[in-house]
Amino acid sequence: MKTFSYLVPKTLDEAVSLFESHSDRVMYVAGGTDVMVKTKQGKIAPDYLISLKHLSDLDKVKMNPDTNELIIGALATHRTLETSTLIRRQFPIIHDAVQHIGSTQIRNVATIGGNIVNAVPSADGAIPLIALDGVAKMYGPNGERTVDLIHFFEGPGQTVLEAGEILTEIIIPSQSSHTGGAYQKVGRRAAMELPLIGVGIVLTLEPDSAVCQKARICLGVAAPTPLRTLSAERFLTGKVLNEDILIEAGNIAAEESRVRDSIRGQAWYRREMVSVFVRRMGLKCLKRIEETN
Amino acid sequence: MGTKQKYSTVGKRVPKLDAIDKATGRAQYIQDVKLPGMLYGKILYSKYPHARIVNIDTSKAEKLSGVRVVLTGEDIPNIRMGVYKDNPPLKAGKVRSYRDEVAAVAATEPEIAKKAIDLIEVTYEALPSVFDPITAMQPDAPLVHENHKTNILKMPWKLHYGDVETARKEAAHVVEKQFTTTWVTHCCLGTSGAIADFDNNNNLTIHTNTQIPSLAQKDFQETLKALGIPDKRVRVIKPVIGGGFGSKLDTYAYEHVAILLAWHARRAVKVLFDREEEFVATSTRQPTIIDIAMGCDTEGRLMFRDINMVLDNGAYTSWGVTTPSVMMMPITSLYRVPNVRYQAKCVYTNNTYAQAMRGYGNPQATFAIESAMDILAEAAGIDRLEIRRINSNQPGDETPQGFKITTCGLPECINAVEKVLDIEKPKTKGEGIGIASLIHVGGGARIYKSDGCGAIIKLDDFGKADVFTGASDMGQGADTVIAQIVAEQLGLEVEDIHVIHQDTDICPWDVGAHASRTTFVAGNAALGAAKKIRSRILELGAELMGITQTKLDLRNRHVVAQDEPEKTMPIGKLLRKAHFSHGGTMMMADFFYDPANENMGRDFRGNLSMTYAFGTHGVRLKVDEETGKVEILDYVAAHDVGRAINPMLLDGQVHGGVMMGVGYALTEQVILEKGRNMNPDFRDYKILTAKDAIPLTPVVIETIDPDGPYGAKGIGEPGCVPTAPAIANAIYDAIGVRILDLPITPERVLAEIKKKKGVDSCGIDPLTEKEQPC
Repeated sequence: MKTFSYLVPKTLDEAVSLFESHSDRVMYVAGGTDVMVKTKQGKIAPDYLISLKHLSDLDKVKMNPDTNELIIGALATHRTLETSTLIRRQFPIIHDAVQHIGSTQIRNVATIGGNIVNAVPSADGAIPLIALDGVAKMYGPNGERTVDLIHFFEGPGQTVLEAGEILTEIIIPSQSSHTGGAYQKVGRRAAMELPLIGVGIVLTLEPDSAVCQKARICLGVAAPTPLRTLSAERFLTGKVLNEDILIEAGNIAAEESRVRDSIRGQAWYRREMVSVFVRRMGLKCLKRIEETN
Repeated sequence: MGTKQKYSTVGKRVPKLDAIDKATGRAQYIQDVKLPGMLYGKILYSKYPHARIVNIDTSKAEKLSGVRVVLTGEDIPNIRMGVYKDNPPLKAGKVRSYRDEVAAVAATEPEIAKKAIDLIEVTYEALPSVFDPITAMQPDAPLVHENHKTNILKMPWKLHYGDVETARKEAAHVVEKQFTTTWVTHCCLGTSGAIADFDNNNNLTIHTNTQIPSLAQKDFQETLKALGIPDKRVRVIKPVIGGGFGSKLDTYAYEHVAILLAWHARRAVKVLFDREEEFVATSTRQPTIIDIAMGCDTEGRLMFRDINMVLDNGAYTSWGVTTPSVMMMPITSLYRVPNVRYQAKCVYTNNTYAQAMRGYGNPQATFAIESAMDILAEAAGIDRLEIRRINSNQPGDETPQGFKITTCGLPECINAVEKVLDIEKPKTKGEGIGIASLIHVGGGARIYKSDGCGAIIKLDDFGKADVFTGASDMGQGADTVIAQIVAEQLGLEVEDIHVIHQDTDICPWDVGAHASRTTFVAGNAALGAAKKIRSRILELGAELMGITQTKLDLRNRHVVAQDEPEKTMPIGKLLRKAHFSHGGTMMMADFFYDPANENMGRDFRGNLSMTYAFGTHGVRLKVDEETGKVEILDYVAAHDVGRAINPMLLDGQVHGGVMMGVGYALTEQVILEKGRNMNPDFRDYKILTAKDAIPLTPVVIETIDPDGPYGAKGIGEPGCVPTAPAIANAIYDAIGVRILDLPITPERVLAEIKKKKGVDSCGIDPLTEKEQPC
């Protein structure tokens, strides 16, 4: 493995200025579960790694009491999210996803921000956050900006982050009442698994009826970047939700998906799983709505 | 069986002696071994599955600072590895698979060796390739080895006992099916590696992960002979081995390359595999295409079994090619079947080559046989357990292949599974139950002229014993079992016994850790040596204590008078008296045990093993009919083990074996695309994880074998043998679809469900499983 200098800034500004002073031979690193593997494999060979692990407060998961927004620090580990009572109670869809990423050992160090920034088509950490209309907050040489998480991804390994920019937070906007979410990773084994497909759904019903006010159906590994199946979402909106409607939505979503064959799985099977799990997760959303109201 | 109580150590759950060393990082694996001035070797592999090597330019690599040796196939003498002697450690002229070793370097640092490998420029001229054994058998197929004239190996795998044709005509029910199995690999957590080191007299010491130290000596000696240094000593030192499972039953190119590099460098050279190399450049289980026909009479009694098999040998030949000899065992002898015919063809292809792997062909053959048993039971309208009971092997049987069944707990295993799994329990939708049984050698197997193992025991002044064994502990716990056997004989505690198995300069000869033979053969060798020592201690005790020898026993580190418990003498004291006296004596004994196993004759008949291990697995599972995913709800593995010398290690073998079997059944496959390994890592090679562990109840059936040490049989391999057919049978029971191909992926199950329903959803052709335009 090529050696590198390991830099440990304490503030965002320090991190950004370190990045700028070492220009193109530098990379940010958080948990290191991707960066270190790639470095060992010789796929990347940075001269400097800037650790983001010691930036204060960016590893927190908390509610903003004024806005009722959920703030997830990009440096929060998957394990932090997995074991958070707040997440488990109020955002079970996030818990659904993070508990199955890698292994406990990996979740102890790997961060949600790293998962998102890596932007590999098979990473499914972002799917529930997109389904929750999450917003990515970034900080860089030109200051702070935000972008809807669905627009954060530009292609495999490609994001809107500019040189030196750091993903700092994911903001989940306040959720309406009668909202439920659920996520399913479809894989072959119980741990150390990349999904064949990931299905995240968030549904909001009109109070005291089963009419769908808002639907988000977000798929992982169904396209080069996370995919919202807009036709299926539109199909659900305004309808009284039941199993038949969800079956139809599943079929629409399956057609919208852009799955492909790879050694990990065949396209036809992935497509089948989209339709199966859109229905199942849809039903799970309804159940969760019922349980919380 | 009621005989357990009289033993103090045998039958106890003794934790593995090296467990703490392994858990705390004290254990020295090949990764940890470093010799002074050692160089690091690295191998360059082929970029083509089949190509002529037009030119190799090593000049840039040679110029790199720190590089000491660069070798290609042109630089080495004629060395041929493997059972068919068709595999040079570095290839010259042409490559036949992606894992072909083309060149090797030794350098002062691993990074430099890696860089040097990248600087070697090889010009290839691609040749037509063949990846499918059926195609490879066609007369116009490209030849993998031109001088072999055909891709079909000249192996004698053909037997016919009784009269299959007549039995087939007379059978009331006949089933006929084709099954296939694919490549899987051992996934040893300790990757392979070797350090070769010559002394000034050109004697070789090689530190290597091997299951066959004594036979490896001979392979390495042949390499020395080829180098022009015959008659030199070869010392094989085994570091702690992180898993074998058959993978270390042959010598590999990397070991010979380490020797060649060390010879040229005049320095020690270490070659160590990374995980990708471990996947790509070590061998697999044999993929098979199995055509089976089986028939029974109206009562369900088996009348014949007829099997035709094609095995993908890959580009070279290791022990994989001899697995049909072990497949013969279940084919001729799992259940009573009077008429048997079997033929196997092993075929060269441009794929990776196969090796020994836990079960040695038995899992593939048993998958076909036990799946077909269920199909036959259904055709005959007989309960699945009942047909197995009707045909069960029994003590005293001699099978068509000449196997003499002594102890046989198969009926008890079937009963145990029925009871413990609670087979009659009502099933919910999608739930099913499957069972499958196994036979395996339980008392070693005479594969070579010898099936022997030596043991030497030496006692010190304090009542501690050193046991030098030929056995190879590669994680299975041989050391612990041997220590228990010796401790039991000598009235000592397990911690008084130090087992040494690492070094051919010190340890006696052994034919290798294969065929589940270690507990039986090495156990009997240790037992034989311990008995000799025991009688000498008793003899001396009688003299010192003035009590008749027959009235003495060895217990709790003492010589004790059986009838007068107050009369005792510490064994340590006795030993000091033996050593510190005029005309003293040394307490040391050796024993060579070679079981009365027979080599198979030209007709493959012969009592291969003194005893046979039996077992039955039962599984309750649930199939998700929308996803094809199988969830195992409950699993019972009943094994006739003779005697459980260490129930804890036995549980470990069964748990490990079953998990390996579940992986084989459901998830594991080496994906080769035109000969290239597409999943050489644990991310995409779906070995099951701790999180996938299933609810498993091992059931121990003790039949106390008269020939086993304390009645024990071998149990190393059986755990993974019947798992796949048990699961396939349960899936059929659950949802009525029969999966004939391993692994039973959700895709395969779902495709079969759709085929059965005749549904073509979203444009998938249910027959070809190919996508059609929606």
